[in-house]
Amino acid sequence: MSDTLLSVKDLVIHYETEDEVVEAVNNISFDIKKGEVLGLVGETGAGKTTTALGILGLLPAKVGHVIQGSIELEGQDLLKISEREMRQIRGKKISMIFQDPMTALNPVKTVGDQIAEVILLHDHCSKAEALRKAQDMLAMVGIVPERYRDYPHQFSGGMKQRIVIAIALACKPELLIADEPTTALDVTIQAQILDMMRKLQKDQGTSVILITHDLGVVAEMCDNCAVMYGGELVEYGSLEQVFDNPKHPYTRALYKSIPSLDKDVHRLEVIPGLVPDPSDLPEYCSFFERCAEKCPKCNKYDPVRTEVEPGHFAKCLQYMKEWEG
Amino acid sequence: MAKMHTPAMEKIEKKNRKRKKPVNSTPAYEAWKRFRRNKTAIIGLVVVGILILIAIFAPLIAPYDYTMQDYTAMMQAPSKAHLFGTDAYGRDIFSRVIYGTRYSLIIALFCTIAALFSGGLLGIIAGYFGGRVDTIIMRIMDIFQAIPMIMMAMCIVSVLGNGIPQLVAAVMFASMPTMARNNRAAILRVRGSDYIESSEAIGVGQVEMILKHMIPNAAGVMIIFFVGFLAVSIMMMSSMSYIGVGLAAPTPEWGLILNDGKAYITSAPYMMFFPALMIMITCFAFNLMGDGLRDAFDPKSK
Amino acid sequence: MDSRNLLEVKNLKKYFQTPRGLLHAVDNVTFNIEKGKTIGIVGESGCGKSTLGKTLMRLHQPTSGEVMFKDTDIANIPLKEFKKKYRANIQMIFQDPYASLDPRMSILQLIEEPIRVNNKKLSKAEVTQKAKEMMELVGLAKRLENSYPHELDGGRRQRIGIARALSLNPEFIVCDEPVSALDVSIQAQVLNLLQDLQEQRGLTYMFITHDMSVVKHISDDIAVMYLGQMIEKCSADRIFRDTIHPYSQALLSAIPIPNVHIKHERMVLKGELTSPIDPKPCCRFAQRCPYATDRCLAEEPKLREILPNHHVACHFAEKFVK
Repeated sequence: MSDTLLSVKDLVIHYETEDEVVEAVNNISFDIKKGEVLGLVGETGAGKTTTALGILGLLPAKVGHVIQGSIELEGQDLLKISEREMRQIRGKKISMIFQDPMTALNPVKTVGDQIAEVILLHDHCSKAEALRKAQDMLAMVGIVPERYRDYPHQFSGGMKQRIVIAIALACKPELLIADEPTTALDVTIQAQILDMMRKLQKDQGTSVILITHDLGVVAEMCDNCAVMYGGELVEYGSLEQVFDNPKHPYTRALYKSIPSLDKDVHRLEVIPGLVPDPSDLPEYCSFFERCAEKCPKCNKYDPVRTEVEPGHFAKCLQYMKEWEG
Repeated sequence: MAKMHTPAMEKIEKKNRKRKKPVNSTPAYEAWKRFRRNKTAIIGLVVVGILILIAIFAPLIAPYDYTMQDYTAMMQAPSKAHLFGTDAYGRDIFSRVIYGTRYSLIIALFCTIAALFSGGLLGIIAGYFGGRVDTIIMRIMDIFQAIPMIMMAMCIVSVLGNGIPQLVAAVMFASMPTMARNNRAAILRVRGSDYIESSEAIGVGQVEMILKHMIPNAAGVMIIFFVGFLAVSIMMMSSMSYIGVGLAAPTPEWGLILNDGKAYITSAPYMMFFPALMIMITCFAFNLMGDGLRDAFDPKSK
Repeated sequence: MDSRNLLEVKNLKKYFQTPRGLLHAVDNVTFNIEKGKTIGIVGESGCGKSTLGKTLMRLHQPTSGEVMFKDTDIANIPLKEFKKKYRANIQMIFQDPYASLDPRMSILQLIEEPIRVNNKKLSKAEVTQKAKEMMELVGLAKRLENSYPHELDGGRRQRIGIARALSLNPEFIVCDEPVSALDVSIQAQVLNLLQDLQEQRGLTYMFITHDMSVVKHISDDIAVMYLGQMIEKCSADRIFRDTIHPYSQALLSAIPIPNVHIKHERMVLKGELTSPIDPKPCCRFAQRCPYATDRCLAEEPKLREILPNHHVACHFAEKFVK
């Protein structure tokens, strides 16, 4: 397993406050190979962002807790190392792009300085050298390098997101976590950014976890796809497996509920009910209430992840042979 | 995989079993929940509560009449008989400070209410109507603010004479501009929100808009300012009394007690220490409470 | 006025004075909306689609132009008269169900408000009764009556917004991005509700959105806006197969399609949207258009009927017909 970069095992993350415990991530496991792009799909509250913050060790202090599990980066468990060692890893080996480019940049520093700052933090080089590298980074994300002296407010939304990407890639990280990187942008700008990200990913061989709610973006960008629901990974497989032959009832229902450009339907098929409240998850399958394929046993047991076909996992009772009959 | 149970979850489950959860939680209840969680704010609230009790029950707490002059016990240091000592006329400072709570709190309350009804109202009008009305009101407020507070107070007192109404007027004029500015900002913030536009779209009239949507939504922020201003009013009032503007001699207002002790600061520092301590404690408590209210009503502004 | 049309918009303009100049938010827009149909208005942020909706509602006052609604020019009557006679008839569903509901009112109060304000004669009990009927109509459970918006999820909040708009029995509803803040599984529920209500009550919608697949699903006609102008207008099925304007083509090709096997040619545009402040008399898309010529920079194209019922504002529209 030398080509596995990151391996998440049995990860459970809770947010604990005085009034409630939010079970944000419940027992998820997945691996990412070097150079792989993994799409993490799910709706609000499915635990996508929490997973990302957990990997980076950036869960909100006091409230966020990793209850169990391990996160191994090249064999090193990130949950067992000190905050100082973690800081060395963040930005250098793993970096993250947040959803909102407007708030991710410091408004009183020039963009060149902001990129150089990351480089200086992790690489031993002079300020001048860092600034030169910063200019290279700007050129790489499609911004005229001469603009390194400009401040964030002088750039448009799409340009700011390019700068955020430049900062994230400045130290050539092995893993990039992109949390809804294009959601705040218009479609034509989204197309530009996705194009650029794909090119950079290929050139640098970076592994990417792409968090999104847009199945279209996943289809364009990813090699593998993981579907999250109620803090669990309900389906995992290669892009073709998950898109052409979805196994979990939630994934299937999700495809039917999005309007399509090439098909005409009179009414969309809906998933009835609401997204489950993560502070009040049932003991059984969390999709039970909304499931179109449920059986009487479904509200008695919580299914475990089953390999439906090689490399394709689903967490649904109908694939668990031992429960049959 | 079955649900993970953690100690924290069990604790909460236990709590929930005991307590009936409120079915519908109003925004005010949510704010109270946040306030309750804030320990320093609760300390502020408790201290303010104690001060109010002291003010109400002053005659029961104070061992002496606050005007009674005992020439056999002048300028005595704190003792069992006189907890805070006595002043140059033999009056019991403890009793005077206790009664002072009454004066200080009530006058501060009046000052703040007056400021709210003058400056606050102007601010709301300026914020709602905007444009020229806004410009005129706010420029007048700017002029007000340019006059030094103490000088304005002295002018008012020299024209109208000493007394509580004059003092209230002086503090009111001094705090009007800030009050107007704060309330204007609160209204502006609400006015720009989507639900105002949505109410406009369904045909809600102007008066109803202000009374039912804008003021209730701005109320949280306004209460924060109100509590903050109580502290400011006490400070202003005391400083005016201290320099001899506003209240006349035997009134046991904290600033006046300070003024009485001024001459003896080296020989009998306790005469100034206790009233000053009370002013400090009161302002501190109001500020703690104000900060707590800010977090409670405006959780995002942290 | 054509009897099939509920609304006829002619040369509608809305300009805003900004410190940097005159912003042409809606610039000379002309279109008709047929009774009982849905017109979709698509475009990227800042193209003026929301301003267009709010101008029709008189939440913004039009700079010039007319809006004929039942033989009355509702753009040019006094605002007071508009509010009295037409406000109930033309309603709006807002984009952000989190911000567009007063957080201090309960669900029932929120739905009662429009009924109470517009029918002063009704008794309190009648208002409550009607509000409860509205709740049922949009599928809000009875037990939620005394809840507050912050306790509900986006989908149910949006249902409150729909109930508020519908409670006045409007004929025309401007839907300003009503589902873009919602999760996909909830989005379908709300879209279906809107379609059901349209069928039951013969409503006419103007559906404003940036999401192409949603607009295609719900609309009969679609208009594409770019920097304040309408650049293409046709029936919903045509715009996806036979788009003519280069911008519409780029917009469509930019949408990521959730299918592994369909890989379409992408036309990636250069640059980004600017804002139409003191625009020069030229094609506003020319800066980013891969086919732009000198003529595009010198002359402003008019919206012309290229094919029956298919209007395009491009000098070379004929060239792009497939």
